[in-house]
Order: sequence, then C-alpha cells, then structure tokens
Amino acid sequence: MNPSALSRQNELNCSTSGSGCIVDCGTSNLCVSELSVFYRDHSAVRDVSLNIPTNEITAIVGPSGCGKSSFLHSLNRLTDLIPGCRVTGSIRLCDGTEITHPQADILSLRRRVGIVFQRPNPFPQSIRRNFEIPLKEHGWHNRDIPDRMEAVLRDVGLWDEVSDRLHKSAIALSGGQQQRLCIARALALDPEVILFDEPCSALDPIASGVVEDLIHSLKGKVTVAIVTHNLAQARRIADHAAVFWVRDNAGALVESGPAARVFSDPLDPDAALYLSGARG
Amino acid sequence: MPTLAPPQKRRVFPVLGDRVFGAFGMAAALLSFGLFAWIVWDLARLGFPQLSWGYFTGEVEDSGRAGGIGPLLVSSLLILVCCLGLVIPLGVGCALWLSEFVKRRSVAARLVTGGVDLLASVPSIVFGLFGMVFFGQVLGMGFSILAGGLTLACMILPILVRTTLSALESLPADLRPAAAALGLTNTTAIAKILLPAALPGIVIGITLGIGRALSETAALIFTSGYSIRWPETLGDSGRSLSVHIYDLALNVAGGNTMAASSALVLLALILLVNSVAVALSEHWLRRRHQTP
Amino acid sequence: MTSSKNTSLSRSIDRVAQGILGLLALVSGALVVLIVCFLFKGAWPAIEAGRLESFFADPKWQPGSVRDPQFGVVSMLVGSTLVTLLAVALALPVGVAGAVFHRFYAPPALERWNRRILELLIGVPAVVFGFWGLSVVVPAIVRFVPESSGQSLLAGGIVLGLMILPIITLTSQAALQAVPPAQLQAAAGLGLGRARTIWSIALPAAKGGIGTGVLLSLARAVGETMAVVLVCGNIPQIPTSLFDPIRPVTSTIALEMGYATASHKALLFCAGLILVLFTAALVGWLSFRRPAIDSGTGGA
Repeated sequence: MNPSALSRQNELNCSTSGSGCIVDCGTSNLCVSELSVFYRDHSAVRDVSLNIPTNEITAIVGPSGCGKSSFLHSLNRLTDLIPGCRVTGSIRLCDGTEITHPQADILSLRRRVGIVFQRPNPFPQSIRRNFEIPLKEHGWHNRDIPDRMEAVLRDVGLWDEVSDRLHKSAIALSGGQQQRLCIARALALDPEVILFDEPCSALDPIASGVVEDLIHSLKGKVTVAIVTHNLAQARRIADHAAVFWVRDNAGALVESGPAARVFSDPLDPDAALYLSGARG
Repeated sequence: MPTLAPPQKRRVFPVLGDRVFGAFGMAAALLSFGLFAWIVWDLARLGFPQLSWGYFTGEVEDSGRAGGIGPLLVSSLLILVCCLGLVIPLGVGCALWLSEFVKRRSVAARLVTGGVDLLASVPSIVFGLFGMVFFGQVLGMGFSILAGGLTLACMILPILVRTTLSALESLPADLRPAAAALGLTNTTAIAKILLPAALPGIVIGITLGIGRALSETAALIFTSGYSIRWPETLGDSGRSLSVHIYDLALNVAGGNTMAASSALVLLALILLVNSVAVALSEHWLRRRHQTP
Repeated sequence: MTSSKNTSLSRSIDRVAQGILGLLALVSGALVVLIVCFLFKGAWPAIEAGRLESFFADPKWQPGSVRDPQFGVVSMLVGSTLVTLLAVALALPVGVAGAVFHRFYAPPALERWNRRILELLIGVPAVVFGFWGLSVVVPAIVRFVPESSGQSLLAGGIVLGLMILPIITLTSQAALQAVPPAQLQAAAGLGLGRARTIWSIALPAAKGGIGTGVLLSLARAVGETMAVVLVCGNIPQIPTSLFDPIRPVTSTIALEMGYATASHKALLFCAGLILVLFTAALVGWLSFRRPAIDSGTGGA
C-alpha cells in the first residue's frame, strides 16, 4: 500500500477544523507540540507548537538565529547528526507516527519527510546515480527506477535539459539545475512532507524564480514547510505562515496562521515590525 | 504527483551491510592496533633475556652470536652525527631560500621543490648505490662512517626541507613587514627573527629525520660497511645497529635471538625519538594556542 | 656617513647570504639529478656493451657463472611487481575498512590513540619488520603448508602489506574526513542508512584520496629492500604459486653488490636505474593527479 495514499485517506477521515497553532491534528500532516531543541545546555528552540497542514505550503520566517533551521531539521531528525543536540516534545505524522520517539525508524521516516537544503548538494556522481542510490536503498525495483526518475525530473522541469546526459556528473549542472535535481531527488522517494531550508538563497534571481515556481507547483500534491529569509517570496507562495523570534535567548514561535492574515494583520508586535520590514 | 509502486523489495543491505562494515572495520582497526603490540611482544620474548649492561657496552663476539653491541651503538651515533652535520645546513638553507628569497610559483622554486620531492621517492637501496660510488669512490671515502652518514643525509633531506618550509610558511605573515619596517636587513631578519620563530618546526623535522636515519639499513650496507670494531675515526668502516640486525638474520645461523635483542634496542631508540617529536610538537602547539 | 657605510656593508652581507642559501637550494634540488647521473655512469659499461638486450631477453639470472653467464632480469621484475601488488591487495581492503571504522563507527575518543599507534607503526624500521616476518610469518606459513620453505611470495606480500597498512589507513582516513559534510547531510536527508552512505557516497567521494595513498604505498613497497630480502627466499624465478620463493629487484642489488664486478655490477646499476625511473614516474603521476582531486567537490 502506498504510504502517501494511506496518509491522504487518513486525512479524509480527519475531522476538519480551523487552522491555528492549537494541538489538533485536523487537516495537518505534521503536528508539532511543545518542541524544544538544545545544543548541549543552550536552548535553540523553546516550546514550539505548530501544525503543518496537509498538501499546503507553510512558510517559516524570522530573523537570523531565531531557530528556524533547527526547528526544520528536527522535523526529520537531522538534528541527530549534530553531536550534543537534544530534542524534546512531540512531532506526530498524520498516521500517528511519533518522530521524536527514540526507537522511531529514522531511515523510513526520512523517506516520508524529505528535505532540500540551502546549498544544492547533489552527490558528485552521475545524475542517474543520484536517483539510483536512494531509490535502491528504499527498496524500489531496478526496473522501476528509470520511469520514476523520468517522472520526477519532468515534475521539476529538468527532463528536457538533462535527458541526454543522465550519465554525466551532476556537479556539471548549473546551481539552479542542481537545486531542482535535489528537489526531484527528494520527490522521487514519494514523501508526504518536503522541508525546504532556504532553498533559493544560494541561487541567482532567475534560478531562484524557477525554483520558487516549482515549489509553488507542489501545492496540493505534497505538504511543504519552507524556511525563507525572503518575505516577498513567502507572501507569494505560502498558504500558512509561522513567525519565529528570539525570546529569552531561545527561538520561539510568536505568530502563526493563514498567510494572508499573518502578513496583513500580525498580532505580535515584534512580528508586525519584522513583517513590515522595520526590524530583523 | 507521479505515484508508482512503493517499496516492495526486502531491504537487506541497510542492516546486513551495516553489520558487515562494522565488524570488518573493527577487525581491521584491531589488526593495526594489535600489530604493533604483536611485534613488540615477539621481539621482547626472543630478545629480552639477552639484554644486560654488558650487552650495551660489550664487543660483538662470534659474528654476533655472543657479546654485545657497544661498537655498533658508537658507530650508529657517529653516522648520525655526520648525517645531521650535512643535512641541517643543507635542508634549512634550502627551505630558507625557497620561502624567503624566491616566489613560490617561480620556475626556480618549482624546479627545486620538484627535485626535492623526487628525491623523497628514491628507494633507499638506490641511495646506497649512489653513496657507494659518489662518496666512497669519487670522493675517496671508501667504506666509512662519514660516507654512510652523508648518504643518509641525502636520504632525509626531503623530510627536513618539507618540515622547515611548512614551519616558515606557518609564521605570522606580518613578521616580515615588521622586520623590514624596522630597517633590518634580510640576513638579520632571518637569523634573529624568522629562524628562532620557526625553530620548533625545524627541531621536529630533525627528530623525524633522526628516526628515519636510525631505522635505515639498505643505504648503509655499501657505504658504512660491516666492520664491528670500535670506530676510531670517521674514516673507519662501522656497522650500524640496523645493519647488524640484517646481517644476523640473513647471514648468521643461530643469530636469531641476538638479532631480536638488537631489534628491541633499535625499536626502543626509535620509539624514544618519535615520542620526543610528538611531545615537542604538542608542547609547542599548546604554547602557540596560549599566546594570543 | 657611517650609516651609509653600514648600509652598503649590510647590503653585501645580504647578497652573500642569498648566494649561499641559493647554492644550498641548488644542491638540494640537483641531488636527485646527481643520483640519476651516477646511476647512469655505473650502468654505462653494460649499456655500452649492449648488455641491455640480454638483460631483458636472457631467461635466467646467473651472472657469476663462468661457463654460461646469463643476465635475465625479467624474473626479478615479475617478482617485484607481484610482491608489491600482493601487498597492496592485502593492505587496501584492511586499511580502508579500518579508516571507515574510525570515521563512521568508533567513538571519537579512540581517534587520538588510533593516530598515535599508526604513526608508531610507520616508524618501525623495515629491517625489524623483515626480521619479525622471518621469525613469525615464515614459520606460520610452513605450519600451514609444510611442503614449502615458508620464505615465499606470500610471506613477502604479507610483511610488505603490514608495512604499508598504516600509510593506506592514514591517507584513507584523511580522504574520508575530507568528504564534504553537505554530501553526508544529503544522504541523511534521503534516509540512506550508514552502510549505504559509506558504500555509495563516502567511498566514491574519497576515491581520489585513497588512490593517492595507494600510489604512495606502491612507491614505498616497490623500493623496499629489507622487508623482502629476509622473507622472500631470494631465488630468481617466476613463481607459479603463492608459496614459491621469489627475488625482487631490490633484494638482488642488496645481495650481490658486495661482490659484483665489471658487467655484473653495471647491470645492478641498471636495475637501480629502473627502480628510480619507476618510482619517479609514480610520484610524477601523483603530483599530476593532485589538482584533479581538489576540483572533485566544486559546485556551482
């Protein structure tokens, strides 16, 4: 059974309720409650509760150092890679899987919750290998891999550009192409959620626009959480917005809700100043 | 969103592969950890019973089956002295010229560093051939401690050049303009400021070179020779400790235990020299971190 | 006035110092040329007398024989090649596995000790390795294969392999450390397991650095004399099994130079020349390769 199909079915069974930062897994794919991230004894994120709605785009904005990236990385346990990093609280997938559980199957978890980083990081191998390695690892049959690769490369609009050089090194692509390749690579695993960690900030404006359009096109197909510094970009693509701010030396969520409301009429004074461009 | 058949194959690699890598890797790491202990244990088992004060001071008797290694220790020391006497001025001078007088990318600098790097790749037995002809025959030294020492000097030259060069290059870049601004000549700046500052690195290089020179055998067989008498001058032939081990193991039936004793002594000497190098470098590293 | 005098004096001191240091550098850089020249000089009688032909064509090496002197070096070249390849074949998987263990499995506290031990191993003199091989590895081979003498291609391969093991481990470890963290992060983000990350991401990315270590250890192993001369049996023949004795080029020089005369001696110099050319070629290839390794991680 396709896990993402399963999740969509679950979502139909869920009762629909208003969005907001209350802990209620209504239409949400990811329910975060009271999440804190510590680096040794310093706390980087404190007590964040947030729902990330299914198949919509949630933008996470805020000034540098307010814990946005730490928060995002804890959503698929990449924080495990950092020595001395500790996460408390609860992150629940739609089917009830508890991500922060110590015995969670991290590898299949990361298949279900993909991530795209700030700097494109294709493996320095052929374009084809970039898809073969993760797909094989997650049990796809060899014969299915070429079709799968073509489908996601078409999804990101890269197929026509690279179909004749799939055996060439992925490093030879331009920055924007590399980033789209990384998105395609994440999509190939058929995740329920994709996390984007400032995916456009290392790209030139034109490539940035292409990637932005691509992320926008994922709406309705997969749940997206995107950390961005670019407020205009967040306004253009987000359905929901969450504003992080530093409170008592730790990152905290100060505002969240439908993007239109958050951007036009923020309740929190710091968020209001930040969103109006006066601070941060 | 393209949806395709989800994972169906049983995934064996992630778990099994991880176990295999871990087990094989641990075995490999244990091998390199254990190997050293194994070698020391075998040498000690065979060679320790023969060690005594008399062993270190006595003459070699019965081709090495009995007696001690006194003359060999003296010969080894003298070979080392000759070696350092040539290699220190040559190596330090070469590194100084490369770092202070020519541009890094100039043709001359590249030729010299290329030559030194190639020198590092020459097999030690070839140094022996060269030393035999050049020092022994052309310069008329014959089989002598001096010829052996000078041959070893050629061999460890690349080590000293490399370490001195990196010591000079890691000095703070503003030392040189500071010296120039005070109107110091190049010579004064080098002798009074740069060399003292780079001394730790140079000393470490020399210690590493000593370790290498002590362990060398092949380059000495045809240069300093096999004589087991107490050396009287640098012109005498003298057998080094390493050549003694070689000779006992290859040519002397029943010399096994005595060879192990000599090997144990040699290994201890080299461990001592290398530990000094490590201790020095850690000491200086710490001091550098402490000074702001 | 005094000052200008001093200035001109110190200028000339500077010039003299520069001259002396330049001369030292010239000597250091030219030493390798001098070595090759003297090898040529030593080898010249053989080259002049047209012996090089018999060097490669003669089937046997019996330079001392009065009735039928033969100077075939092929068996020794084969011996050198085989023992070197065997050593690398044994040391490469073990060294890389050890490096992988320390990079991905072992607790970081172990790392310091690991480095220390490997450096100690590199410091062990070749003659000690050879002697240890003779008194431990050779008897062990005899125990398992009683019909062999123990002194064999296999013994040489094992001892040489153990000698180059720390070199391969250290260079592989450095290469694995240099794998960009972004690659490992990407692998983790895709849910790749540790084994898959090592096999498909880290090792391919570290290939260049590991290759450098292999070339370095090849150069070291081919030129090694003491470790092989004591354990290989020293019979100049092309081996038919792992348990046959062989005689590498370096051993021949060490064993025969002491008594060789005339054309025999010249041929030994030829052998030395071949060794130098081979290791120089390896090192040349290495420095030619190095820039290619650095650019492997470049992105857009």
